[in-house]
Amino acid sequence: MNDKTPLPWWTLDNAAKIFPSTGSSHDSKVFRIFCELKEDVEPQDLQKALDKTVERFPMFRSVLKRGWFWYYLEDSVLPVKAEPETLPPCWPLYPSGRRSLLFRVQYFRRRISLEVYHVLTDGTGALEFMRTLVSEYLLLRDPAAFPKPEFPQADSQWQRQADGFQKYYEKSRGKRLAPEPSAYQIRGQRLPKNRMAVLEGSVPLADALACARGRGATLTELMTALLLRAIHEGMRVRDERKPVVITVPVNLRSYFPSQSSRNFFAIIRVGYDFRNRDGSLEDVLAQVREQFKANLTQERMAAQMNALCALEHNIPIRLVPLPIKDVVLRAANYLSSRGATASFSNVGKVAMPKGSESFIKKFGVFTCAGCLQACVCSFGDDYTVSFASPYRSREVERVFFRQLVDLGLQVTVTSNLLPNGEVD
Amino acid sequence: MRYCEQCKVQLTGAPDRCPLCQGPLAGEPGEPSYPQVPPQPSRLAIRWAALVTVAAGAVCGVVNLSVPSSGLWCLFVIAGLATTWLLLWVALRKRGSPTKVILWQLGLVCALSLLWDVCTGFHGWSVNFVLPIFIPCMQLAIAVTAKILRLRKEEYLFYLVLSIAAGLLPLLSLVCGLLQVVYPSGICGGISVIGLAALVLFRGSELKEEVVRRVHF
Repeated sequence: MNDKTPLPWWTLDNAAKIFPSTGSSHDSKVFRIFCELKEDVEPQDLQKALDKTVERFPMFRSVLKRGWFWYYLEDSVLPVKAEPETLPPCWPLYPSGRRSLLFRVQYFRRRISLEVYHVLTDGTGALEFMRTLVSEYLLLRDPAAFPKPEFPQADSQWQRQADGFQKYYEKSRGKRLAPEPSAYQIRGQRLPKNRMAVLEGSVPLADALACARGRGATLTELMTALLLRAIHEGMRVRDERKPVVITVPVNLRSYFPSQSSRNFFAIIRVGYDFRNRDGSLEDVLAQVREQFKANLTQERMAAQMNALCALEHNIPIRLVPLPIKDVVLRAANYLSSRGATASFSNVGKVAMPKGSESFIKKFGVFTCAGCLQACVCSFGDDYTVSFASPYRSREVERVFFRQLVDLGLQVTVTSNLLPNGEVD
Repeated sequence: MRYCEQCKVQLTGAPDRCPLCQGPLAGEPGEPSYPQVPPQPSRLAIRWAALVTVAAGAVCGVVNLSVPSSGLWCLFVIAGLATTWLLLWVALRKRGSPTKVILWQLGLVCALSLLWDVCTGFHGWSVNFVLPIFIPCMQLAIAVTAKILRLRKEEYLFYLVLSIAAGLLPLLSLVCGLLQVVYPSGICGGISVIGLAALVLFRGSELKEEVVRRVHF
């Protein structure tokens, strides 16, 4: 590509617009998807696989730039490198204005980690990239034994780069976003130097599913209920006047067909009032199920999406210069973060070709944010719940995993803490 | 694999204590899943430089206050230190893009020299000399940087055109009769008009595209 051909560029999608303004060193808006293999990673093959993968996902090469009114993504010719892991998990990816890629691939022993700045894509898009990367890698390692994968195919690169929000936005009148009532905030000291404590708990998927089905719920509903109860354990009685609210990102691709590998999600809120209800697992689960059922409808999703997109299409808002937008969005983000206690995100089942279980042990995902975050994904018979916490205390995680043990599940915990229990 | 009797969970890696309950563990340690990350750089040099600056300002202030008859010269020292740090801070923040750094220096130096001039009785040295001499230098600096670093047009074209637009301001002031010294501003304006014409004639379509992407709303 010579200097004469203009580099392609893309406006940010609706969800991505808020991330560059609101990111900070303790809330980097970076999430990680990792894959644990059964043997150590071979760096050279990983690099080759990465080069092939990036060809299929050209948008991953883009860099973030500041315009006068909005940030935007611009293609780049920067080298993409797989490197040994030397950074703390989810370390910021957009160091002030530097022209750098918005994702990184690192390896450590048997693990390959993909870290992505949320501006680029959401969990679904990143997972698609990760699946391709791991398949390419294993194909290079053992072409005879690894089952030939069907790479996730979009109909065209245009489909992959399409902005789902723009495609489905319909202008509707009178539907403003109501401000969220404030929710209980987890208290306690934070870890030093913006570090995060990661705790992954793996349970057998079949047993976990049996537990959930036995209670007439989905696994996501059960885990959300368990998380609500785990947070409640650490609350003071006088904190109970505020509800515990968990935000759950929902993949909009399930409601609005899209092959976009950019952001395309909405957020629902699931709350529980521990002051006026008994807090038993049955009652919490019933409440959670009810709220999931009420919120997860095509109409609700469309209404939320339209309300958010309407802001972005509002001419006076569009004409506000970016430095002012930065300040306003930061304030709006602070206010909306008061309305949530923690977040629970389900990336879903990682589909890999049959037979890849003999090469791959598990997949996992976690994300950095100012508050406690739990993310889950499953692969084969492994169901991994990963907590990323900025707090010193591990009480929520402890109570959560104890509940899993009490349900009769066998829990295996992995953490990034040093042997003495500190972050470094 | 290790095991915590208290929490009844298995633990991978080699923890000494249970990360959940801090209790003792049974079983053999395994391989860790996360590396021990090296400490991040803490920018000690810049912290020391900042401390030295504050100390210098404080010492000047104290000396000045103890000899009041010498006038309030410490204000000049403090304002000078603040100016230097502002320029340095902006350059460090924008260091990812050298052409952006140059454009910011252009804007800041112009604004700060005007401010210094106004605060010291407005003798006109800023508008008559500093602006018309400094702006063409920065235009040249952007062009040379782009050439040497072989930057793509997305990395310099927009900043170059803004620096040229800035060069038209002294000319405009001259035409409006605001200036006393003609030559510097006239030459600066002339260079800028020629530069702008050359850019529009030779790289007009690329320039238009660049403006569209930077100013889209």
